[in-house]
Amino acid sequence: MIQIQYQTQRLSMRFFILMLILFLGQIGFGLLLGLQHTDPTLLAGTLNFNVVRAEHVNLGLLWILSGFIGAILFAGPMLSKRELASPWLIKFLFYALVVTVAWNIGTQVLAMTGVAGWWANQPWLQEGLEYIEAGRAADVVILIGFAILAYVVLRTFPPVRQWNEIHWGLGIGVVALMVVWVFGLFYVPRIDLQEYFRWFVVHYWVEGVWEVIHISLVGFLIVVLFKVDVKSVGYAVFWGVTLVWLSGLLGNAHHYFWIGTPEFWQFWGSLFSAMEPLPLIFCFWHIYIDAHQNRKPLENAPAFYFILGSVVLEQVGAGILGFTMTFALTNVWSHGTWITPAHGHLALFGTFGMLGIAAAYYAIPVMRKATDFDQRLGKLAFWLVFTGIMGVALAFAIGGTVQMYYYRTLALDWFGGDVLPAMKLYRILVPTFGFVFAVGAGILAYDLLTLGKRNRNAAAVEAPVLSASPATGWSRPMTGFEAGIWLMWMWIFGGIITLGILSFNLSIVRVQGDPTIPYIMAGVGYPGLLLVTLLFVWRFLASLEARVKTAGETEEPIPDLSVATA
Amino acid sequence: MSCPDGSCKEPGKRQRALIAFGLMMIIFIVLSGFSFLNSRGQVVPGDISFGSHMADEGKHVFQAYNCMGCHTMVGNGAYLAPDLTKEYKAAGPAWLAAFLPSAGTWPTEAAIKVQLLNNDDIAEDAGVDNIEDYYKKYPGAKERVQRRVGTTLMPNLPLSSEEVGQLIAYLKYTSAMNTEGWPPETKIPDLNKRLSLAHPVASAAAAGANQAQAAEPVDPIELGHQLATDNGCFACHATDNKKMTGPSWGKLYGSQVKLTTGSTVAADDAYLTESILQPNAKIVDGYQTGLMPAYDKLLSKDEVKAIVEYIHSLE
Repeated sequence: MIQIQYQTQRLSMRFFILMLILFLGQIGFGLLLGLQHTDPTLLAGTLNFNVVRAEHVNLGLLWILSGFIGAILFAGPMLSKRELASPWLIKFLFYALVVTVAWNIGTQVLAMTGVAGWWANQPWLQEGLEYIEAGRAADVVILIGFAILAYVVLRTFPPVRQWNEIHWGLGIGVVALMVVWVFGLFYVPRIDLQEYFRWFVVHYWVEGVWEVIHISLVGFLIVVLFKVDVKSVGYAVFWGVTLVWLSGLLGNAHHYFWIGTPEFWQFWGSLFSAMEPLPLIFCFWHIYIDAHQNRKPLENAPAFYFILGSVVLEQVGAGILGFTMTFALTNVWSHGTWITPAHGHLALFGTFGMLGIAAAYYAIPVMRKATDFDQRLGKLAFWLVFTGIMGVALAFAIGGTVQMYYYRTLALDWFGGDVLPAMKLYRILVPTFGFVFAVGAGILAYDLLTLGKRNRNAAAVEAPVLSASPATGWSRPMTGFEAGIWLMWMWIFGGIITLGILSFNLSIVRVQGDPTIPYIMAGVGYPGLLLVTLLFVWRFLASLEARVKTAGETEEPIPDLSVATA
Repeated sequence: MSCPDGSCKEPGKRQRALIAFGLMMIIFIVLSGFSFLNSRGQVVPGDISFGSHMADEGKHVFQAYNCMGCHTMVGNGAYLAPDLTKEYKAAGPAWLAAFLPSAGTWPTEAAIKVQLLNNDDIAEDAGVDNIEDYYKKYPGAKERVQRRVGTTLMPNLPLSSEEVGQLIAYLKYTSAMNTEGWPPETKIPDLNKRLSLAHPVASAAAAGANQAQAAEPVDPIELGHQLATDNGCFACHATDNKKMTGPSWGKLYGSQVKLTTGSTVAADDAYLTESILQPNAKIVDGYQTGLMPAYDKLLSKDEVKAIVEYIHSLE
C-alpha cells in the first residue's frame, strides 16, 4: 500500500477540504442563479442577481485555486525528496485564504447599495468587474498569498540545475500566477484599456498559468497512478506547455475584437486562437498513451475518472467550444450571449475543477491510509457531475443560439418581453441539469470528507471479479486508432457548430430573418458533440475497468519524481 | 552517441520553440502599443461629460453597483440583461434620466417630457426640446415607450440624482467609442417585421393588449395612481412613510408639514397642488430644493386634482 513519506504532505489536506466546502458554496449560488434566470424577480432587492453571480464566479476561482494549492503541496515533497519549506507559512496561507474568502463573500453584497469603498481612486471593498470582483483589500492579501505559495514551492524544490519538466511547469506556474495577478490591481479609466488588462489576468491565468499548472499536475498524477516513466511525461509536459504559450499568447487577441481596440486584432486573434486547441489535442493524445503504458487495472478509479474528465472536457469545452466562437466572424454573433457560458462552464469546471477533485481523490485516501476505499460513490459522483455539467453547457449553448437570433439578428433588446421568453425552455434546463450536478457534487464531497472514516466493510463488496477471458465488445481494449476516430467525431460536430454560428452571416438569416439553418446546425452540433463525448468517456473507462488483476502481482513503486531528465 | 529515439535532437527543438515564443511576444507588444496611440482617435473618458458630470465619475458608479453582474459592457459581463455599450445612443439622456431612478418601472412619454422640459443638462445634451425631435434622434426611446408593458426585470437601485447624471455621462462615453461595428446592426430595419418574426402568433394579440391598457381608468383615485406612475412620481416618493429623494406620501394628507423656513403648513389640497405645480415654493425640512421638476406645463388641472385625490387616499 502506498503511504506518504513526508509529513508536510498532510498540509494539503486542509486545502482539499476547503476546496470541497467552497465548491458546494459555489454550486449553491449557481443553483440560485439558475432559479433567478427562470424567475428574475426571485430575491430581487434582497440578494440581487449581480451579487449572486459575483459570489458564484469568485468562489469558482477560489476553490479551484485551493485545489491547486492542495495538489501542489502534496506533490512538492515527492518532487523534491524533502519536506516542504516553512510549514508555518503554509498554515498562515490557509488561514489568510479562509479570511479572504469570507471577507470577499461579505463585501460583494455592497454592490446592492453601490458601495465600492473608493479611496485613492481604488475600489477597496468590491470592484464590480467580471471575474475580478474582489476589492483591492482582498486583492492585496491574495497577492501576498501567491507570493507565499511561490516562495514555499521554490524553496522546497531542488536546485534549478536538477529540475525536470514537472518542476519547471509548477515553478513557472506559481510565479506567473502572482505576476499576472498584478495586472488586475489598478483602476483603469479607459474601458478599452481596462478590458485589455482585465484579460491579462483572466485569459493568461486560464490559458497561460493555470494551463501550465494543470499540465504539470496531470503529468504528476499520471506518474503516480500509472507508474509512467518521468522522462516520457516530462516530454509531454514540455511540449504541452510550449504549445499552450505559442498559441495562447497571441490567442488572447480574441478578447480584443470589440472592446474598442483596433480591427487588426481580429486577424491575429482569429488566427492564433484557432491554434489554441493544438496543445489540448496533444494532451488528449498523451492521456491515452499514458493510460495504456501498462495494462494493469486501475487502483484508484475515481482519481483517474476525474483526470480523464478533466482532459476530455478541456478538449471539448475549452478546445472545441472555444474554437467555435473564436473567429471574428462567429464571435461577432456569439459575443455577449449564452454561447460564452456554455464554453465557460465546461472549460473551467471541466479542466481545472475536475483536476482538483482528481488530486483530492488521489491524495486523501493516501493520507488517511484508506487506499482500499469503496470506489463506487466516487464513480457515481463522477457520472453525475460529468453529465450534469454537460447538460448545463448544452442548455446554455442552445439557449444561446436562440438568443443570438433574437438579440443580434432581430436586434430586439427587450429581455423581459422578447429575448428571455424565447429562451424559456433553456432557462429551466440550466438549473435542472445544475441540480443533477449538485447531487453529484454532494456525493463526492461526502465521499471525500468521510473517506477512511466510514465503515470499511463496504469496501469488501467490490472484490475484483477475476475472469481469464479477455474483455470484448464495449469493454475491449481501446486502440490508438479508435481513440483517434472518437476525437475526429468530436471535431466534426465542432465543425458543424462553427458553421452554424457562421451561418448567422448568411443573407437568408440576416436579411430575411429565417433562423432555420443555424437552429438545425446547433440542434445537431451541440447534442452530437456532447453525446460523442459521453460515449467516448464511457467507452474509455469501460476498457480500463475490464483490466484484470493477474495473480501474484506485486505493487510497483512510484517512480522517482525528482529525477532530472535533461 | 547514437541517437535512435531522436532524443538528442530535443534541445535544438526546444530552443527554436523559445525563439518562436519570443517573436510572438514582440508581435504582441507592438500590436498593443499601436492599439492605444492617441492618433487612433479612440474616445477617452476625459473627453466626455454630461452637464457637470464626467464619464469617469460614472464609471466609478457603474463599478460600485456591479452593473456588469447582470448586463454586459462591450459584450463582457453577465447575460441576464441587455448590453449597455450603445444604450445612450439608442435611448438618449432623457429616457435614461427617467428610467434610472426607478428602474423597476418603464418610463412613460410624460416622464421623458418632464426630463426634457425641466432638466437643462438633458435638453442641452440631446440638442432637442420637444418629444418628437427627441424620438427622431433616439428611436430606441420611442420603441421603449411604445412597447412598455408591465414592470421591468431590474430591481430599483438607491441611485442618487448625482449618480444618475454620472452614469449617463459614462454611457455617453461608451456609446461614443468605436467598437469596430459591434454589436452588429440588424439588416431587418422594420420593427414590426422583426416582432412578427419573434412572436409569430402572439404579436397581433400583444399589440391589442397595449391598446387596451392605454384606456384611462375612470375612478379618480385609480387615475391619480396611474398618472403618478406615468409621470415617474414613485421614483422619489414612497407610498408608505419611507424617506426617499422626496417626502413620502403615506399619511401625508391632512398632516402638519415642517418646512425649511421653520414654519409649518397643513398638507391640504392647496398645498399639495402648489407642490406639484411649483415644487420649489415650499421645501419640506430635511429635503433639497431644485430636485423636483415643475409639472405646471405637463399636467392639466384635472390631472393634478386626481393625483391629490390619490395622495388623499393614502391615509
